[in-house]
This record gives sequence, structure tokens and C-alpha cells, in this order.
Amino acid sequence: MGMTRRDFLVTAAGATTSVGGKLRRPAGWVLLDLKGDCLRESVAGYQAALHPRLLSAQLPDLPRCAALIVPGALDISPAVARAIVAALHAGATVILESAAGFIAEQDFRAHRAVLRDALDVHIDAAQQLWPRSVPYVDFGWPYATKLRDFSRVVRLAAQPGAVIASVDGFPVALKRFGPGTLIFLGSPVGPALWSGDAEARAWLSAVLATAS
Amino acid sequence: MKRSIGDNMIPKDWAFERGLDLVKKSGFDGIELWLGDVPWFQMTTTDAEVRELRRKVENAGLVVSNVSTGLHWASPLSARDPRGRAQAARIVERQIETARLLGSDAILVVAGLVTDEVPYNEVYQRCLDALRPLGDTAARAGVKIGCENCNAEQRFLLSPREFWQFLNDVNSPAVGIHLDVGNIHDTGFAEQWIEMHGPRITRIHLKDVLKHRGRSGDQSVYTNLFLGDNNWPAIRAALTKVGYDGWLIAEMEARYRYAPDQQFYDTAQAMDRLISGRL
Repeated sequence: MGMTRRDFLVTAAGATTSVGGKLRRPAGWVLLDLKGDCLRESVAGYQAALHPRLLSAQLPDLPRCAALIVPGALDISPAVARAIVAALHAGATVILESAAGFIAEQDFRAHRAVLRDALDVHIDAAQQLWPRSVPYVDFGWPYATKLRDFSRVVRLAAQPGAVIASVDGFPVALKRFGPGTLIFLGSPVGPALWSGDAEARAWLSAVLATAS
Repeated sequence: MKRSIGDNMIPKDWAFERGLDLVKKSGFDGIELWLGDVPWFQMTTTDAEVRELRRKVENAGLVVSNVSTGLHWASPLSARDPRGRAQAARIVERQIETARLLGSDAILVVAGLVTDEVPYNEVYQRCLDALRPLGDTAARAGVKIGCENCNAEQRFLLSPREFWQFLNDVNSPAVGIHLDVGNIHDTGFAEQWIEMHGPRITRIHLKDVLKHRGRSGDQSVYTNLFLGDNNWPAIRAALTKVGYDGWLIAEMEARYRYAPDQQFYDTAQAMDRLISGRL
């Protein structure tokens, strides 16, 4: 959280130039496509931003990778949770994006339980952000930036890990080191990537530059 | 050109048949049916009931010019919630289905809404994603989707060139523009929209606009034909220039406070003057 954007970009310059085809890192980014159990716009956003370096996969055929991206998750099945845990144990960086703000209350409870039991991620509640005056989520890592909110977020409970984003003062995203690195996003970024938001793409580029 | 008027202009306490009788007597050739805006034509109206509406229209000596809806103001194709978008797409599909049942080949769609919450780039992309498959559906049904230029209210596709590019990006022969010559307000000139969109115009809404007024309290920016700031001789000339010979549909926002039927007669006569070019 203490690194400035300038510092970060200097550090990362050798690893990445931009999101997309010009990245110099070796391949190794995999998108886990949950099909009907996720926001399709979010999938499309990551695919567009990371084309052609991103491999899209489905269970059970999930290859080892440096970074696993799970966009816009509405329903997280036990199999998906196990795949995420396995990727973390293999040392990957996992970006898990929850879209639980868009599901019914009963499904939200199941979503919350899976996050708690499989990943030790604790979410409080889904929150409708609008009406509000400033339409941004404040990210503090890997550098400070503002990304468009996506109307509904999930609030995080107090838990281990570093808060990397907040909305109106409450946490909505965290980063946790363990085996691997878990980046949990309670405010979907994929739709902003899909709509061509330049700051969202730069932010993703910076996050992936940290993936080993 | 043929003259039509919306069934949502029929006074609220009138039956559909009485309204049709007025539409015919006042000189119109057809009627625009507004899905969801009138009690006789809702999303729950069955196919059999829609066929009965057509029978009533034809018995009155009219035809259905097109199927419009105001439902997309509450359920836009640009909604962030996928369930909301699915509902919006279903409304368009029902418009297409009912247009066929009613013997019409055109529908009006308010394509998307830019708000402080849902930004322009999202709305643009989402509308493309929605309209491409809906265009295929419409093409199979022999129906054209006319996206209305609701410039001020939508805050979307504000200039004729922007709208032109949007239709290029949709890239479907079944998706065009339902041009409202009153909606342009002070952002441009209706005759230029007509020139730029020519063969892509599916239907035309007519009303006049008080450009100086803007949206202010309960004062409508819209007014009856020839009372406002539209350049009607230029609009008429532009229609001739591009060879538009389709439906002109009256859409009056401000209603007569008294003698509401008189508005139908006055509007039909004004449309006659416009069509004949006696301006």
C-alpha cells in the first residue's frame, strides 16, 4: 500500500509494458470461465484486456499457471473452490472476482459460505452503492488509483490480509499471501475492462506484473 | 406518406374502440400501439388478445403503423444486472412478436440509458451486444427495429454522426433509427438527421420543440406542430430529398386540457399541411 504509482511502474517496467500482446512476461495467465455462473461481461473484459496472452479454461481441464483469474463469480461450486485452492498451493496468484451483489439472498448465503469454508475469505453483505455522488472504488495496491464501481459490491469483514480497495471507507478487496497470492475483489473490475476503461487495464497490468 | 398517432394519446378513461373511432374520424391512416403503456396492450396480453386488437384496428378502418414501448426506460438494454438486460431483451422480442401479429413491420426501441451510475462506454457496448442478436431475430420476423433518438433523456447517441456510427457498429439491416424530430432539442437540426440517416429511418415521430425552454419543472419542452422551433419547411424538404415515404407518427407530450379529441383533429390537419408542403 506504501508504493507510489511511479515507484511501482519503475519497478515493473522490466516485466511489463502494457496489458495485451506487448507483455514480455512468459505466458501463464489462465481465466477460469464459470460460464453461466458468472458475469459474462467480466469474462469478456479480462479476455479483451489480456488478449492474446490469456488462456481460457474450464473445469476439470485447468492447467498450472502463474496467475489464475476467476471473473465475476456468481456461484462458486465446491469444485471451483478446490481448483482455486489447488492453484494457490501451487504458488499461483489468484484473482477471484465476486459478483455476489447480483445474486439472490439464498444464493448469496451459499456464496459466502464457500468463500469462508474453502478460502477463509469473510464477506459481510452485498451492498447497493447507488445513489452516490462519486462513482469510483479507491484502490491502494499495487498503486493508488480509482476504478469505476459496478453498482453493487460485497463488503469484507475484518480478517487477515491487506485491504487493497475500499468504497466510501469500507473494504471491498484484499490481498493475502499464503501459499500463493489471493487477490479477492468484492467489486467487479471485469466490466470496466470490457468497456475499455484505461485505468482498469493499467491496474490489471500492474497486478499481473506482481504474479510470479 | 401516411399519418399515425399513438394509442397512448387516447384519453385515459376511454375504451380502445372509442379511441380508434376518434383516430379514424380525425383523419389518421394508422395507429401506433404502445406495449406496456396502455391497459389493452401489456406484456401479459396473449397472442389471441393481440389478434383481437388487430381486428379492432382493422374494423375501424386503420392499420397498425408500428409497435412502440416505454418499458425500456425502467428496464433498459444497458442495465448492469444481467437479469435486467434479459427482461429488456424479452420486451424487444415481444414487440417483434406482436408486430407480426398486428401486421406491422416496425418497432421502436429506446436502446440504452446513460446515467451517472452507468457510463457511456458501458451503455454503448451493451447496446451493441443486445441489438446484434435482436437484429437477427427481427430480420427473421421481417420486422425492423428502430432505435429512437431520445437525445436529452437518454444522454446517449447525441449527434447524428454518432448515431450513424452506432448503427454501423450494430451492422444489421434490420436495425435502423426511429427518428423523433422533436427530441433533438437544441443539440442540432432535425433536417440534418434526416439527411444523414435517409434509408435507415424506420419511422418518424412528429412533435415540435420549444428549444429555449429545456426541461424545467412541469413545463414540457414539447408542443404541438408548428408552435415550436423546428424548421418544418426544411424538415419537409429533407424528407423529399431522401425519398422518405413512410409513416409519420404524431407524439404529443403536452395534451389539451379541454376537449382532448380536438388535439387529434388539429394534429391530423397539421400533418396534412406538412405532407402537402403548404407551409
